[in-house]
Amino acid sequence: MESTGNKGRIFNIQKFSVHDGPGVRDTVFMKGCPLRCLWCSNPESQSPQPQIGWREKKCIGCGVCLKSCPSGALSRGQDGRIERDNKKCTLCMQCVKRCYAKAMHVYGEALDVDELYARIRNQPLAWRSDGGVTVSGGEPLMQAEFVAALLSKFRRYAIHTAIETSLFAAWEKVALVAAQCSLIYADMKFFSAEKHKKYTGVDNALIKENLLRLKKGFPSVELIVRTPVIPGINDDEEELNNIADFLKQVPGLNDYELLPFHSFGAPKYEQLGIEYAVKDLKAQDKEEILLLNNELRYRIGLPIPN
Amino acid sequence: MSICDTTCSMTGQEQRLADGRGQSSPRARTNKALEIIRSGRPKLDIERAVLFTESMKQTEQYPLVLRWGKAIRYVMEHIGVVIQEGELLVGTVGGPGRISPLYPELRCGWFPKGMPATQQKDAYAVRTEDMEVFMEKVVPYWKGKTAHEHYLTLLPKETRDIIYGDDDYGATGLMQDNSNINSTLNWSGVFDKIIYKGVLALKAEAEQRLAELQNDLIHNHYDKIPFLQAVIECYEGMLIYARRYAEKARELAAEEQDPVRRKELETIASNCEHVPACPARNFWEAMQAHWFAQVAYRVEQQISGGVALHRFDQYMNPIYVKDLKEGNLTEDFALELLEAMWLKIAQVVPFSATNAGNYWEGYAHFENCTIGGVDKYGRDATNEMTYLVIRSKKEFPLHYPEVSLRVHSGTPHELLHAAAELVKEGCGFPKFFNDEAIITQLLVNGASIDQARDYSAAGCTEIRMPNIDTYLPLGGNINLAAALEMALNDGKAHFGPKYEKLMTPSVARKDIRSYEDIVSNLRECIDFYVRHFMKRMSALELTNKQCLAAPFMSSQSDVCMKNLMDIHQCLIPGGNHHDTGNVNFNGFGTCSESLCAIKKLVYDDKVLSLDELLGAVNNDFEGQEPLRQLVLNAPKYGNNDPYADNIARNLDAMIMTIVHGYESVFGEKYVKYVPVTSHVGLGNKTWATPNGRHAHTFLSEGISPTQGADINGPLSTMVSIANSTSRVYPNSCARLLNLKLNPQVVSGEKGTTDLMNLIRNFVDLKLWHVQIGIYNKDVLLKAREHPEDYKNLIVRVAGYSAYFVELSPSMQGEIIARTEHEMM
Repeated sequence: MESTGNKGRIFNIQKFSVHDGPGVRDTVFMKGCPLRCLWCSNPESQSPQPQIGWREKKCIGCGVCLKSCPSGALSRGQDGRIERDNKKCTLCMQCVKRCYAKAMHVYGEALDVDELYARIRNQPLAWRSDGGVTVSGGEPLMQAEFVAALLSKFRRYAIHTAIETSLFAAWEKVALVAAQCSLIYADMKFFSAEKHKKYTGVDNALIKENLLRLKKGFPSVELIVRTPVIPGINDDEEELNNIADFLKQVPGLNDYELLPFHSFGAPKYEQLGIEYAVKDLKAQDKEEILLLNNELRYRIGLPIPN
Repeated sequence: MSICDTTCSMTGQEQRLADGRGQSSPRARTNKALEIIRSGRPKLDIERAVLFTESMKQTEQYPLVLRWGKAIRYVMEHIGVVIQEGELLVGTVGGPGRISPLYPELRCGWFPKGMPATQQKDAYAVRTEDMEVFMEKVVPYWKGKTAHEHYLTLLPKETRDIIYGDDDYGATGLMQDNSNINSTLNWSGVFDKIIYKGVLALKAEAEQRLAELQNDLIHNHYDKIPFLQAVIECYEGMLIYARRYAEKARELAAEEQDPVRRKELETIASNCEHVPACPARNFWEAMQAHWFAQVAYRVEQQISGGVALHRFDQYMNPIYVKDLKEGNLTEDFALELLEAMWLKIAQVVPFSATNAGNYWEGYAHFENCTIGGVDKYGRDATNEMTYLVIRSKKEFPLHYPEVSLRVHSGTPHELLHAAAELVKEGCGFPKFFNDEAIITQLLVNGASIDQARDYSAAGCTEIRMPNIDTYLPLGGNINLAAALEMALNDGKAHFGPKYEKLMTPSVARKDIRSYEDIVSNLRECIDFYVRHFMKRMSALELTNKQCLAAPFMSSQSDVCMKNLMDIHQCLIPGGNHHDTGNVNFNGFGTCSESLCAIKKLVYDDKVLSLDELLGAVNNDFEGQEPLRQLVLNAPKYGNNDPYADNIARNLDAMIMTIVHGYESVFGEKYVKYVPVTSHVGLGNKTWATPNGRHAHTFLSEGISPTQGADINGPLSTMVSIANSTSRVYPNSCARLLNLKLNPQVVSGEKGTTDLMNLIRNFVDLKLWHVQIGIYNKDVLLKAREHPEDYKNLIVRVAGYSAYFVELSPSMQGEIIARTEHEMM
């Protein structure tokens, strides 16, 4: 892996982000995640290394990438698709640099805190009335030092900061970042340890422990727990009720949100040449999810929003 | 009809389409009338033209302004009295239904040649027998007398060729020219005098002044006498017209079986007996008086985009609130009356006697109803009527009139919330005008603070101060993409099938060594167009003044009445003689992106030679897709990228400076970036450009970046536009910005708040205008495929909204291509 020194590796900055915290925000997506959720909507976020994606819609089929590859990692498949042999690819980025149409695209730029800060702050208008900055991923806590340093720069000017995390990290890392946050969105995907292991690849004991501990250490941070509802995987009554019952014990929980499943990530699997395991799942009705969400809020003892 | 799956959010409009409500109102009467309007194409109506001509034939010995006054009176005495089923407000400028009155004094010469093709295109319903009457009674008289023929004689040959090519009634040349398509630029009517003083009092004032002048042999004001006589003729015409309506309503009431309708007709009769003669006593009468004044404006002349309503909430609120308080009126009935007026406005569709297609699409008329803003002391002016108009548009989203909301730093939260909720309906209402930018601009240009604070929207994004504005002649469009082609190509430009050398820029193609060489050539090429533009402008200013008069419009203007001069004379003491932005540049985004690609790829990064790039452009990028992709991916204006935005700002400064260097007969001219739909028409005839745009496709729109080029969200787009506004001279007004958002971005209460913040940022950035279209792209694509299911889909075109299915395929494509800022 290319050394990033004290740089952070990100794969996207989204301007005018309206669904990742209050107001209008800039959302930074960190690369690298310890979980491998079956339904992951950001497959490009998983590996901590840079990755090259190929966008079929943009490709004009000129073949310059094939010619530019020094290690012969690229070939044209029968259907005209560009295929990459990840074993041969050295990530030299020649194909990305040469691509006219920007169909070859790198996920995973390394930036230092000041560079990233400058890129975000050129649009300070978004920070008004509760807008701010959200760090998402990937898993922000995998690059905890970097994320804490970045967020502290915004905190200095009283700009609202948020992270979206699985909380699958050592408490020291959680504490380091939480100290710089106005809001933490933490995922609780399963109560069942067994299912968690099966569908995300990791055990959830650490996550539960961190959840129970978070507000004790950081009482002023707003904590919102979210569950992505995946049809057939964690949408049964038992699982959701168990999550809710666990959340009753989480001190100072501010809200609990259900996120309906969506398949917006599907094209990115194609770009990366990875199989999408849940491509046949259908999105749920938004209204139903909303009703269910309120039932669970009630069960936990949270206020129901209007 | 399924519009989208469960993951997408629908706008109010899309929901209306899905459940079959379309544009309907909660009020049955309104829906019935709407059905009649929507059931057919607008009919060309010859009544006004025939009567106007009959009068003009009899008055040749009189001064022009008096002839016009006599003609208005004659039309109002003789035009058919039409009271339609269920109407609450009465008065038309011709037959029933959706009609287009004709104005032969402008471009009558077009009809013999142009009419047959129009009849075939079936955008308008044309009765053959009407056209026979028109050709026999109207056309022969106007030969050699129309405004357009006068204008053409003053146009230098080279200018005429550049504009018209070989068709004097089109605009098939390199500049698009609106001369004499309408009688005047966009105009905001003045209504408070008619409503609150009444015509009798106004007429008495005029008569008094006439008596004073006739007996005053010292000050030599004899020339003002025909003007006052003309004003009096107009007032008499209005009184006769209203009386005829009163009589007709009484007649119908007597025959009416339904007691409810009979009562209504009796009230209509009593309304018409009282207004516009006397001050309105209640809201219904005020609305009737208002409409009578609008009829007079329409009988008099064809105003570009229709008659704007000025600051409707300001002058209508006192009588509305008084009626409510006294218990004479319910909110619901007030809404019904508003809807009645909106329907009346929708019924008069302008007809453009021109062969230039694509310039005014979707039956473009855009009567603005301005609300909000500040009062003459600078305090927020929001009132009950402001909210009522917003509610009316929400309940009945007819696209006439336009609702233009003036916003400022002190716009109340509640009003912004109501406006954001209306935006979310997805019909493009309201559009926003920024007091912080506009009032400042008007002050710099010499208005007093209270005049400036009383401006209203008129046209797409233009504004008016109707009590002091006097500039009327129409402008045209300069094609920046063509200027750039000439700059890079020894002065040669493609236009449609033609390819000609028009001038010789200083640096020959083979000698271009630097980006600065290109910029200096471009300056000369834009200058070339501006010089021709100034010549056409002077020709039009001189001849409109000689051929047109508007005594009624003048009678409602403070400055005209002070000086007793017809408004077409323009240079009236104390008036504001500035145009509303007549030098209209098309393809600003296209041109600045092209410059950006050249600078970056050829001169900074040196990945391409100029020869390679221009070679590819000359072949319309055929076989050169890799190179085209390279330029498409160069930095782009609109993404808050200083590299690209600086280039755009320098281009803006160059344009302002060039235009500032010239004057036409009526003085300095103003720049605007408001294409209506001409960027599609001009684009269709323009060759490929170095930003990767293919030949014969639309240019960028207004001040907006190329459709699809701004990809960093609407805030970045707005910051870029602010950064690229040069303000080198105060001769810039009216910058059109279209934002298109996906409904998911603004869904829910949070979406409303985010939208409000977006508008607050627009105010603080001191941008001129913004309009926000909210649609699912899928819906537009489906509407293109199945127009029959989407007859009611309203979209934002330029500064106006239109039915999507009434636009041409290329305009539909342009709207679909506009950047949709999606959920992120």
